[in-house]
Amino acid sequence: MPVDGGLFEAMRLELRRGSLVLAVLACLRTERYGYTLRQALAADGLEMEESTLYPLLRRLESQGLLLSEWREEEKRNKRFYRLSPAGSEMLEALTAEWRRIGASLDRML
Amino acid sequence: MALIDQYLDAVAAQLPTEKREDITAELRELILSRFEAKEEELGRPLTEAEQEAILQEIGHPLVVAQRYSGGPDSLVGPELYPYWLFAVKAGLFIVAAVSIIGALAALAGGPQTFGQAIGQAFAGFFDGAFVLVGVITAVAWSMERWGGKPRWMTDWRVKDLHAFTLADPARWGLTGSVKAGVERPSGTVKPLAVKVSAGKWPGSDALFGLIFGGLFVAWWIGAWEWPWGGAFELGDQLVTVSGAPVWTALFAPILALALAHMAVDLMGVLRPDMVRVRAVFAMGLSLASLALAWTIFQWGHWFDLTAADGAVAQVRGGVELLRWDALDAIDRADRTLAGQAQVLGTVLSFVLAGFGVTLVFAVLGDLAKVARGR
Repeated sequence: MPVDGGLFEAMRLELRRGSLVLAVLACLRTERYGYTLRQALAADGLEMEESTLYPLLRRLESQGLLLSEWREEEKRNKRFYRLSPAGSEMLEALTAEWRRIGASLDRML
Repeated sequence: MALIDQYLDAVAAQLPTEKREDITAELRELILSRFEAKEEELGRPLTEAEQEAILQEIGHPLVVAQRYSGGPDSLVGPELYPYWLFAVKAGLFIVAAVSIIGALAALAGGPQTFGQAIGQAFAGFFDGAFVLVGVITAVAWSMERWGGKPRWMTDWRVKDLHAFTLADPARWGLTGSVKAGVERPSGTVKPLAVKVSAGKWPGSDALFGLIFGGLFVAWWIGAWEWPWGGAFELGDQLVTVSGAPVWTALFAPILALALAHMAVDLMGVLRPDMVRVRAVFAMGLSLASLALAWTIFQWGHWFDLTAADGAVAQVRGGVELLRWDALDAIDRADRTLAGQAQVLGTVLSFVLAGFGVTLVFAVLGDLAKVARGR
């Protein structure tokens, strides 16, 4: 029986949702502003809508995992984000968890 | 005002004041970056339509602002939803029971006619149901936002769960001829003393059809009257609604059709397994209903509105009123007898057209039943 396209898309999004935070934290080991962060994620194969990414950045900042700063670049004010020390620790912990889940799934699949 | 400003104004209006400036500044920067990237790709400035396309990609201002709010994005979230649903179902059952008991008491001890009692029971049920669903949703909404759950949600014991099994219609004798239930590995656990069954009895739709058909026929032949006496107030005078000659002319065909529907429903109650035969009859009745609806539509003159001073306005409808500008004209209709007749004519034309479309779908549905046999 062929895979139901709509159902697959819904499950794919569900599967991917949990990995977005990890991807954003990993990308922000290097300081970036929103637009370039989105480009970096897309270049690594993880497209993310702006309306998801920007609120996520604010949430991570309010949780103390990111630091942000308004700075002028190319004649425009931009908000630059980078990982905070707490964010680095969280990234390390989440990466270990991600690898553990990946290894478990690899054994099953 | 530039498109970007209009867009950001719409977003800003939904945001808390203290965050507004910061969020819109960041969004502006994002949008300008998107514009610049596209301009670089095209090698020319963007047209307004191209800018608008990018803003649409970013999202509707209400959605974008909601994502920034950080709070729950639904009235009742997935964690509370099962409790909300149970409360609504249980509450509606109680409201229905109270309405029925009230109607029976009114019939037994009061001067009300059968029609008045039924009408009041319906009105009471719908009023109660709206308030109930509203209150339960408001409580769930506040729990979503401010936390706090009653102890029975978080600290429950298996032996206290008996009340929740009452949600099964089979416990009330409403369903039960279909075998279903909880299967357990044999010989491992002692079966529950409570017999649990679920599933919908295939004749239930037909039974409801039979009951409503009976009520309609009783009303159609004048055995009982709807408590709303067919009158409404317009300004300072009472306006009476009376049927046009079309209803007298079609009295017998409509009665015959309703009785035929009841006969098919009765077949569904007695022999719910005869799906194909019933579908063939139902299809014939839907086609007959479609022809009857078309006749009524063609007739054009459906009701008369008679004011207390003797003035009369005809409620007329037809294909010519199935237009958007006819719907627009409803807003502009004045509160005169003629204006209200025009509004009613337009609304009824759309209702009748909608009924016709429903019948076409019913025929298609019956065709599918004939083909599949279920």
